[in-house]
Amino acid sequence: MLKQIAGMLLAMTAITPAVAFEPTKPVEFVVTSGPGGGTDNFARTVQSIIAKHKLMDAPVVVTNKGGGSGAEGFVYAAGYKGDPYKLTFGTNNEYLLPSVAAVPYKPEDLTPVAALALDEFLVWVNGKSEVNDIKTFVTAAKAEPKAIQFGGSQSKDTDQILVSTIAETTGAEFRYIPFKSGGEAAVQLAGGHIDANVNNPNENRGQWQAGMVKPLCVFRPDRFPKSEPVHDGKGWSDIPTCAEAGLAIDSYRMPRTVWLPAGVDEDAVKFYQDVLKKVSETSEWADYVAKTSQTSQFLAGGDFTTYQTSDRENVRKVLKREGWLVE
Amino acid sequence: MGNFSYLMDGFSTIITWHHILIMIVGVMLGILVGVLPGLGAPNGVSLLLPLTFTMDPISAIILLSCMYWGALFGGSTTSILFNIPGEPSSVATTFDGYPMAKNGQATRALTLAFMSAGIGALAGVIMITLLSTWVAGFALQFSSPEFFAVYFLAFASFIGMSGNAPAKTLVTMMLGFAFATVGMDTISGGLRLTFGIPDLIKGVSFLVAVMGLFGIGELLLTTEEGLRFDGIKARVRIVDVLKALKEMPRYSWSILRSTVIGIWMGITPAGPTAASFMSYGLARRFAKDKSGFGKGDPRGIVSPETADHSAGTAALLPMLALGVPGSATAAVMMGGLMIWGLTPGPMLFIDRPDFVWGLIASMYLGNVVAVVLVLATVPIYASILRVPFSIVGPVIVAIIFSGAYQIANSTFDMWLVLGFGILGYLFKKLDYPIAPLVLAMVLGDKAEDAFRQSMLMSNGSLSIFWSNPLVTGIMALGLLMLLWPILANAVGVRNLRRRAAGHSAKI
Amino acid sequence: MAELQKGYVSRKTMEIVTTLLTGGVGIAICIESWRSGVGWSDTGPEAGYFPFIVGSLVILGSVVTLLRSLFFYNHEGEIFIDIERAKPVLGFFLPIVAFIVISLLLGLYVGTALYIFGSMKWQGGYRWWVSTCAALAVSALFYLVFEVGFQVPLLKGPIEGWLGIY
Repeated sequence: MLKQIAGMLLAMTAITPAVAFEPTKPVEFVVTSGPGGGTDNFARTVQSIIAKHKLMDAPVVVTNKGGGSGAEGFVYAAGYKGDPYKLTFGTNNEYLLPSVAAVPYKPEDLTPVAALALDEFLVWVNGKSEVNDIKTFVTAAKAEPKAIQFGGSQSKDTDQILVSTIAETTGAEFRYIPFKSGGEAAVQLAGGHIDANVNNPNENRGQWQAGMVKPLCVFRPDRFPKSEPVHDGKGWSDIPTCAEAGLAIDSYRMPRTVWLPAGVDEDAVKFYQDVLKKVSETSEWADYVAKTSQTSQFLAGGDFTTYQTSDRENVRKVLKREGWLVE
Repeated sequence: MGNFSYLMDGFSTIITWHHILIMIVGVMLGILVGVLPGLGAPNGVSLLLPLTFTMDPISAIILLSCMYWGALFGGSTTSILFNIPGEPSSVATTFDGYPMAKNGQATRALTLAFMSAGIGALAGVIMITLLSTWVAGFALQFSSPEFFAVYFLAFASFIGMSGNAPAKTLVTMMLGFAFATVGMDTISGGLRLTFGIPDLIKGVSFLVAVMGLFGIGELLLTTEEGLRFDGIKARVRIVDVLKALKEMPRYSWSILRSTVIGIWMGITPAGPTAASFMSYGLARRFAKDKSGFGKGDPRGIVSPETADHSAGTAALLPMLALGVPGSATAAVMMGGLMIWGLTPGPMLFIDRPDFVWGLIASMYLGNVVAVVLVLATVPIYASILRVPFSIVGPVIVAIIFSGAYQIANSTFDMWLVLGFGILGYLFKKLDYPIAPLVLAMVLGDKAEDAFRQSMLMSNGSLSIFWSNPLVTGIMALGLLMLLWPILANAVGVRNLRRRAAGHSAKI
Repeated sequence: MAELQKGYVSRKTMEIVTTLLTGGVGIAICIESWRSGVGWSDTGPEAGYFPFIVGSLVILGSVVTLLRSLFFYNHEGEIFIDIERAKPVLGFFLPIVAFIVISLLLGLYVGTALYIFGSMKWQGGYRWWVSTCAALAVSALFYLVFEVGFQVPLLKGPIEGWLGIY
């Protein structure tokens, strides 16, 4: 009996050609932020697009694991070595976190699948502020070292690294005050309790509409594409890039990334890359990216690796200078 | 009265059979997720979110917000019946709600809770209707020092409740602070108190702690007393619901005070948890006869419930008016707003008054629907207690542990619940007060963050806590509350004091 | 101990055990927070500052309670638990431990069903078929509510795998 079964199984494997990976049970989307966070919106958008266009037969289950700035989710996924059913959604925190905190996973514990979009950073000041451009802002900061208070989300994370980079580039000195989220930093700026923040477009859009905050410049290589005006006749495309406005940082962006545990088959990675590629070509995706003022950019394979290497390189320089590296 | 006519427009938009049906469905689903400790409102709302993509925004927000109301009510139900708070803000309800249910008055306890919750919620909506513009400005004045002052006030009004063993109170409260500290530190970005255990990176979930301390701890005590709930004897009658409704006017003062506390905490936004604890603490402090507190005093149910719901409702205003989510649920709803093509923020009131006022009108109606639904089902809940313990007990245990697993898909949390259960059992038998632990756990890390943010703002100077009239006022109020027992003594309210010392509530 | 032979644990013993437990936790907190830095820098307290104070206060509270229990004890002669009462408590507690262990091995659905079956059969004294039906019903309800309704997966074991349920 057993022999027969074994024989049948063998026969089956022999008949089935070595086709590409295809999920046969639910795929878990591990989200490295709490419900409502930027990464959560990203993952749920991907989920809804996959469902709508039937890009994958297997169902999707989303779980939020945002504890420890997302470390919870990465540690969880890293524990499923070789399991192609744990698709993890994050930002550059996947390779950033292990450098600044003693988290029990290494960046190599996860296999990069793709990056789908780049989120932008801007310098924002209070709407009533007399400062209207980044040059004046920097001059004012230089005149009074450590007087300007920058708020941001979390500590030693993308926001603080950017503030540190601005300080390094200009020679000005700032104080950085970490809050739990970009949303909190937005309200503190609108209330005039801090002087500036470096929020993503989505985190400050509502306050800008009402004129409670205003953008000075954006850390993009080029301006935003043309769009509707947001406040006072000004739209996203009217915001100068920081480089053109006199702050010599060409580009600072945060990728929206997708990962698998280490040790998964090449086929599985390929499969998800195809699915995500298709996701990034839908009109719903374009919609999401436009609404949140991100930049759609599909990076996979070698491109993604190159991006990561240079991003890590830049970040590590800052971490080293500030003495934040843990080893 | 521009707002008033907008509101009437809102009502005319939402009073259709279609919308009312959506409300009923939302409330029912909400009660379900509220009753199951592992699910909770944020989970339920994010699950429904994809369903709403094809709806019009008003129907969608009605569905989601009604689910939120339902979940709030569901959370109170388990607090009262099984001593398991479904969410942080209903912890204070267990202090008197559970004893009352244990005394065989489950129906009365549930009715009082639901009714006062409904009143609190309505008060919150009325405030939103009348004061939306002013309140948004007020909320903007709060920064880290003010937040710290508010948390300090919440602690100060609650402390001193457990008079007889200060050393034990100290131990439990400090343990609460320690549990809140575990995990990633916002200010330094480093890990704290994780002892190298990967499962502790995410921190100790509040729900895990209360399910163990209250749920399992209480079940162990119950089995010691003979494997049954004392509520069994009680018959469940509709008359009891009506009787409880009739006694509501007696608590007008408690309700009024709790409403004010709730609305204030909701908009600042320190949140419903601080509100319910503060309101419970003050109800006890200002009561002439404190002997019933902790043993099923109706004011101990009415006060935290009113404050919880008025704060929960008022907390939606910052979300609409400022684009700041006041809670995880609100954060998910904001994600929804963006997907439906709306931008949460100050301009929403101007750009889409139909949506905002439709939502506000639906808050009035949704809460009425919720109160009617839960009141109608009170006898059903209360009769759960009549099911023999050997069935209900294990089912509760199974729900608690599956809930513990669901919170973070972590098996470690299941052991943690068991550990907290043993701790809860020990503490209760040895008269260690658990309430300070819970309060410290909920507000501790927020208070610490606020304190350290303030220190960063002021370059390490404590004078920031006296730097403007607002923060000075709150700090002064907090100090007054802290010193109240001493002051009351000096003024000569000895009578009150003596009674308080004699019958300190064991909670 | 003499108490145990008489079939009870005194309250005093448990008071002392508990203070040693909390005191130990306090020491652990202090040691662990020491590593995060416990000073007050020019930008306010360091990460370990408050936890260290918290740990010290836990130790202080534990020591005071310990001394009170040893020297100024006002519950003299009280019994914490005797064998008569310990039986039902353990009878409830040990199945919970078994439930967790089984759930970790076989998944929460199987664990729940076995646990409810066991409790009803041996503690409630229900007939085996009543217990079986109730156990299966609860597990099925969990499946419908959590897995199907709210799409929150519970821990699963090999048996669900054989049945083709993920």
